[in-house]
Parts: sequence; C-alpha cells; structure tokens
Amino acid sequence: MASKIIRVRELNIDIPKEAMILAEQMLSDLEKSKRPVLEAVKTSLDNAIYNQKVGYLTPGDKVVRTELNVSSVQKLARVVFILEILLGNLEAQAVNNKREIYYICKGLIKKNAKLKPLDFEDQDESDSIIDFIGDMLQVYREELNCFANDRGGQTYSQQLIVTETMADGTKATVDLSTLGTAPYQPKNKPQALKLKVKKKVDFALVVESEGTANTLQTMGFTRRNNVILIGAQGVPSNGVRGWCKLIEEELDVPIYFFGDLDAYTMQNIFRTLKAGSAASLIRNQHFSAPSVRFLGVLPEDVKKYDLPYYNVKESDPAEARALKKAKDALEGDPFFLDKKNKGLADILRWLMKEKIRCEQQSLFSVDPRDKLMMEKIILEKIKKGAYV
Amino acid sequence: MSKITKSSTAEYFSKNLQQVGFSSPLKAVLTTLKEAIDNSLDACEQAGILPDLEVQIERVGTGSSKGTDLIKISVEDNGPGIEPDDLAKVFGEYLASSKFGRGQCSRGQQGIGISAATTWAQLTNAKGAFVRSKTPSMRKAVQGQVDVDIKSNTGIFRNKETVDWDKRSGVRVEFVIDGRIQLNGDGGLITYLEGTVLVNPHLTLKYKLLENDWVTIERVSNEMPEIPEATLPHPHTFKLGEFITHATLYGKVSLDKFLKTGFSRVSDQSIKDFVAKGLPKSMLSKPISSLTEADFKKAFQVVQETELMAPSTKSVLTVGEPALSKSIARLGEIDFFSVVTRKPTICDFKPVVVEVALARFTNRNLEADAPVQLLRFANRVPLQFDKSGCAITWAIESVNWKTYGLQQPKDSLPIGPYVFAVSVVSPFIKFKNASKETIDASEELVEEIRRALIQAGQKLSRHIKKEFKEADLERKLQHIEQFGPILVEALVRITKSSPARLKRAEDGLMKLLGRDSKDAHAELAEAESKLAEQHAREKKKRGGEEPDEETPAAEEGSPGDQLELVMAGGESKAKKAGKKRKK
Repeated sequence: MASKIIRVRELNIDIPKEAMILAEQMLSDLEKSKRPVLEAVKTSLDNAIYNQKVGYLTPGDKVVRTELNVSSVQKLARVVFILEILLGNLEAQAVNNKREIYYICKGLIKKNAKLKPLDFEDQDESDSIIDFIGDMLQVYREELNCFANDRGGQTYSQQLIVTETMADGTKATVDLSTLGTAPYQPKNKPQALKLKVKKKVDFALVVESEGTANTLQTMGFTRRNNVILIGAQGVPSNGVRGWCKLIEEELDVPIYFFGDLDAYTMQNIFRTLKAGSAASLIRNQHFSAPSVRFLGVLPEDVKKYDLPYYNVKESDPAEARALKKAKDALEGDPFFLDKKNKGLADILRWLMKEKIRCEQQSLFSVDPRDKLMMEKIILEKIKKGAYV
Repeated sequence: MSKITKSSTAEYFSKNLQQVGFSSPLKAVLTTLKEAIDNSLDACEQAGILPDLEVQIERVGTGSSKGTDLIKISVEDNGPGIEPDDLAKVFGEYLASSKFGRGQCSRGQQGIGISAATTWAQLTNAKGAFVRSKTPSMRKAVQGQVDVDIKSNTGIFRNKETVDWDKRSGVRVEFVIDGRIQLNGDGGLITYLEGTVLVNPHLTLKYKLLENDWVTIERVSNEMPEIPEATLPHPHTFKLGEFITHATLYGKVSLDKFLKTGFSRVSDQSIKDFVAKGLPKSMLSKPISSLTEADFKKAFQVVQETELMAPSTKSVLTVGEPALSKSIARLGEIDFFSVVTRKPTICDFKPVVVEVALARFTNRNLEADAPVQLLRFANRVPLQFDKSGCAITWAIESVNWKTYGLQQPKDSLPIGPYVFAVSVVSPFIKFKNASKETIDASEELVEEIRRALIQAGQKLSRHIKKEFKEADLERKLQHIEQFGPILVEALVRITKSSPARLKRAEDGLMKLLGRDSKDAHAELAEAESKLAEQHAREKKKRGGEEPDEETPAAEEGSPGDQLELVMAGGESKAKKAGKKRKK
C-alpha cells in the first residue's frame, strides 16, 4: 500500500536525495582536507524582502555560512546526527515533533558512549539544529516529518465543512455546525484540508483572544451571521497561519483580524498573520494570509466608543521593549516601510506618540447592559469599512 | 523663656558619637580599634620607628545595652610613647591634636577619634581608657585610666602608677566597651586588619581575635615611608568661612603676611595680582585681627578670581608598586595580580595620589559570582562602611571591566574572586562626614581613580586573556578528538560509503582541525608572550628606571614576577620567564 505522508506543497526537491548529495559533498571535501561549508538562508529581518504584490516576507540573498573548524565542529556533528534521524523518519514514514526528536537524540546518545559529547543540555539546542537543517535544505520542517503541535486556530462556524484526506487516502468530513459548542481546531497540516461552505460566508473573523472568540460564539455570533470565527490564541502559530491562508485561497472571503491596540499585537501578532515572520522566511509563502485586514481596536475606535485604555508605563520593561520594537520596526521592518501598509505604520506611530494601549475586551465596556454590543460594533465597523 | 547654655565640645560629641563612627555596636568596636591603630602608626612614622603592633580583641562579658557584648580591645605599639602629662589630653580631650589643620597625610587629622573612643567606653562601661606609656627617656612606664570630663572637655588621669615594662618605648591602650564583633565582610575586623596590613608594608602585626590563635604578619619592607613635609592649603580650596577661620590661627599679622604664609602658592607676584584685581593696597598692611567681615569677603573674592599656580605634589606619599606587590602577598596565595601607583596629581586644587592593587587569590573563599571584595583606603586607613556612596566605588563602577575579562552587571561592581584595593592619599581628603567612612566624590577625583583602575585593569587582562586562551585551546583540542569521528562516521552512514573513505575522511579532517588547533596554539603563545613582555618591563622598571609617561595604551608591567605562581595546565612562557618566589 502506497502510504504517503501528506505533502505540504508541491515540493521540487527530493529530500533524501538532496541530503545525500550534501553528505557526499561534505565527505569528499574531508577526504581532500578541504573545509566543508554549509549554507543556510539567513532568517532575519535584515534579509527579509517585502513586496506588496507578493504580500508576504520573502528571503533575500544572505546566507549563514558555517564552515568547519574547531569551533563549529560540534555544531556540524550535531547537524549530521539529527539529519540522520530525520532521514530515517522519512524513510520509515514516521513522524515526530521537536520535543520527541530531542528525546530520541538523548536516547541514542545514552546507548552509545561515543556519542556522549553530542549531548544536548536542553531542547532549545536540538530545536535550533532542526531549524538549521530546514533552512539549509530550504524545506519546511513538516517536510522532514517534524510536526509541531500547533496551538490556536479554534474555529466556529455554521457554514463550514472541512474534508481531510488522511495519510492512507481515506477522507474524513467535519461539518462544523454539528460540533455543538466545541470548536474545530485545524492541526498542523492545514494544507491537507479542503473547504466547502453550505451558504455563502460573508467574512472570516480572527480574534486575538481565543477566550473572546469563545464568548462571541456562545452568545450566538455564528448563528446570527454567516461567518467563520477563529480564535488565534495570541501569536499565530504556523497552524493558524496556514489555516487562514487556506481560507483565503479556497473560500475567497474577506478576513478581518480583531485584537488589542498595542505595539506587540501590531507587530508580533497581526503582521505575522498577514505577512509571516523573519524566522519563517522560507515558509511564509504557505503560512501567511496577506489579505487579512486589521479591524481593531483602531485609534479612532478609542475615541468613538470612549473605550477605557491604559497608559504605557515606561518603567515596565516589557512595555518599554515593545515601544522600542515599534520604533525599530518603523525604521527597519520592510513590511511597515512599504507604502501599502502606511495605515498600519501610522497606527504604530500613533501608539508610540500617545503611549497608550487598549485591549480588545474593552469593547465590553461600551454598553454593559447590551450583551451583544461587541458583536454589533464589529459588524458596524465591517459595514462601514472601519478597518485598515 | 528657657535658659540657653553653652556646651563644651565634649558634651556635644558625647551626645553625638554616632557622627564620629559610633553609630552601632559593630561600628563602635571597629572605630575604637581603628583610632588606636591610626594613632600608633602615625606616632611610629613620625618618630622613624618601624611599627610592631599587637592587637587583641576579646569578649569579656555581656554588654549593658541590649544586644551587645562587653568587648575588650587592646592595642600595643613600640612607638615613641606619650609623655605622662600629655596622656590625659590625648585620650581625654576633644580637638586636642598635634595634627589639626596641618596639611599632612597623616591618618588622624582632627583629634576627635581616640577621645570619642574613651567617651564611648565611659558611656557604656563607666570606665574610660586604660593606658600605659613609656618614652625612651623614662625608666619605668606610667599607666592608669583616662576619663573624659564631659562638662569641661578635659581629660582626667586616675589611678596613676609606675610599672616596669620591658619595652624601650611605646604605648598600650585598652578599651572595654559595649559592642559587637564581626570578623569578615565589609566592616569586619579581619577585613580591616588585612587592609591595614596591605597598605603598610613596613608594619609587623600580631593579632588575636576572640578565641582564635595569634596571627603574626611580618613586615615586607624595612623602609620607613617618608612622610612628606606638611603643606599649606591652596587658597582656591577654601570657602569664605574657612578663610576667615584660618585667619584666626595667625593672630595679628598683616593681611599681606597672612596670605603669603598661610597658603601655598601665594608669592609677591600674586599679591601684586590681587591688587590689580581690586584688593585695596591699604588693606594689605592692616593686621587681620582688625579686619571686618566685609573686608575678608573682599579679600577672599579677589583671591578666588586671581589665577594661582597649582599646588605642589610633593606633599603626598605612596606605598609604591614594589612594596604594594610584596604586601599583597601577605593576604594569601595569589593567582595573579596587578598594581599601579599613579604620579601625584592635582584634583580640585589638592595634591592627590591614587594607588590600585587588583588580585586574584587561589583559595580565599571568594565566590566566583559575588562582587569583588573591595578594600578602600584614605591616607592608608581602611574605609569600612558606606561603600556605595564613596568616590572609589563610583570610579570602579564607571569602568567597563568586561573589556578586561571580568563580568560586570550594569552600573555596579564587577564580579569574580578578586580583591580590589584602592588607596587615595592626600593631605586634604574630603570625607562625606566626620566619621570619615567614605570619600566625597568630586569629578576630578573620580576621574583620577578611574585612570588608575584602567591601567591596573589592562595589566590584569593580560593574565586573564592568557588563562582564557589556555582554556580555549583545551576545549578546542577536546572538540577535535570528540567530534571528528562522530561527524565522519555519520556522513559515511548517510552516503553508504566504504571503510576506505571513512579512513581518508578522518585523516583529512584531522589535518584540517590540526591546522586550526595550531592557530589556537599560536593565539595562546601570543598571549603568553605579551604577558612575558609585561613582566620584563616591570622588572626593568624596578631596576631603577622611571616609567615613561603613561598613556592609556601604555602598559606598565605588574611587578613581582617572582610572585607569579603557576597557571593550571599548558606550558607557560611566563612561568619560564619568572623566577622562584623569594622568601
């Protein structure tokens, strides 16, 4: 039986073959007393390009070169060690997440005294090697059969039907309207899913706080409206990003994001959802939803709805950092520098100037007696075009 | 209306002893000890005698105040002794001093200290100081108890008797007071004694603390420090009130004479300059006792506005790098250290000399991630309290020690098993208060201390770098041995290659990494040779030549290659260059 691990995308490269070529190159270099060099895409902001037509951050030309020498020999030994494990998984069509790979490493090292110098002190060390391998081969972690247990993405809708094709070819169909109060949470392979709607869906709403999404849902948001409601649960994981991308591609509906009005949300949450991040330069193509719009909280909303807000305490280190990051972003983040995103950059500037922040839940203060106020405001804003 | 009465100085101080170092039972013991030792050392130096001090501190009961013990502090010296007639004055009277306003770098300056100690003893134990004294001209020693008559600020000598004493001359003083004992740490007795030992290489100290055995620390220098001549203050260091007070010391002399003899750097030319700036000529010949306050103010203003030559730097003394480096070895076994004695300079119109010694000891119980142990000295007296407010501390915090290889959290002392000793010597040190615990930080002084620290840091960094390079080399060699085979074997498995290829790749890898380890060896050798150069320079310097003008980049060697001890592991060129330690 041809049992396949679901492909995340149409991959042009055959990973085992590429890995073999790489290893062969390294080996023959060594035979000739030549220094093998490993090159990986540099995943940092200074190597990130943003083109508004493309819509997400793409990698530039910079690479991180790791040349073999007395200082790097440990890293390279580790890279080859873990590469071997991953290749083994691919061959056996087994999957593991990052933490499991960490323990697999530990187990192998325990068994073989010779490997002791490789020993990882904590998971961060093995995680970074796995990332390096991905960046080096220019493949997604998932394509190495290393999946993360992505959080967030709890989805509620009366209209949405999801069909999942399993590894063995069978299909599973989930009608979200039959789930009762439980959400549907797309796991880490959103690309293996196909979407269908019963009735036309007006928009998808991604709410920063999963709790607030749940509240809206419980109050009947999805019953009264033909929408897809998603809780991001903070910084959107790859799963959430991929899921939004899927909705964007398959359903062609407007997607709105609703979260706090503060620098952290703008940069770390919204921008990551819309255009990906520097760390995931290689994968942003499939893990970002460029069409998503920022619905709120907007600066104008604070005044319009008289929302309670906080003053940013400069003495608070976390807040001070966020403001500093905002300043850096306005100067160095290609996303915010692009004129298409001027509206978003303006919000950042406004935040830096006013030094306040306003939480999404503040909408509940607008008319506490009206339990559906938040829903009404959201709908009103969408109707009026009050988004960026 | 309530009656307003006049109090004597003694009355004032007896109610305010906390101002002069008696603000806690711990401090009381330390201050008493310090005052006695200061006086002994000063006296020996004045008389040209190499000091032999004996100190004993014991717990003899419980104190009368809550939470205190009854502590007996004994200090005995071999100094010139005190005349019997003076004993009452010295120990029992406030502000009776041989040194007041003298402008010398003596430890004691005001004449408050020992009398305060006597008063404290009276207040807490109803008994003043027990003293025994013998001068070379006396056949027998005189001893008795000195109390302070607080109302009249006079000393009273009781129970006077003559006894035999096998010393040629000297003074023994015993205080029994309420206090508490702390041996280690800032404000600890051992810390204080070690500090005293460090900056007085000519001192031999025997001490016994509580139940511990007697400890003897021999002198490492037979040279008496040359106490420079007393110097006159520079007019620009005075405020108006001080100016007027200073004049009272000079009686009826003319203003002209007062200016020329009461201050340094005032010459006939300066007088002419004063007149040019507006000082009335007629005022110059008037006796100062007849001048009004307005007159003084005018004279003062003119003097301040006139440019005068900077003070001479002859009035400061130093411990000196060779002596300091021998002395530092008395504190324990040293890994390595660096010592800097700056040239005397002027800060705020006062002559100052700064000396720094940084050392790392092998087994001193210093934690690797605690701040360095800081020893501060003002005129060769250890400062024990109020570390954070001191000019010395500020200077240390302002230096970036990371460049010299030490860890340092932001805006604080560096971290590591080091001892940092900083000494400031000046005839006019400005302390923050009368208890002389901490030096007032003026910008110029802090800057001067900084420079000394930077020089010392540079020297120290040579040692640290070498150590680091050795460890680095060690680690790299290990890496090669360990990771090489793992890497190659994994590659062979992935590519399913033959054992022959394995062998070739392993050899190739070894060659590559061998080249790298050669580089690491070379770096280590370079670090070692730099260190050796430093030693050579120091040796040369101690051979009598004066050092060159200091620039920030110039490195003066750390003296005492004979004290360089072995570094762990690795061949050490420095070790080969060094000589055996002299006994």
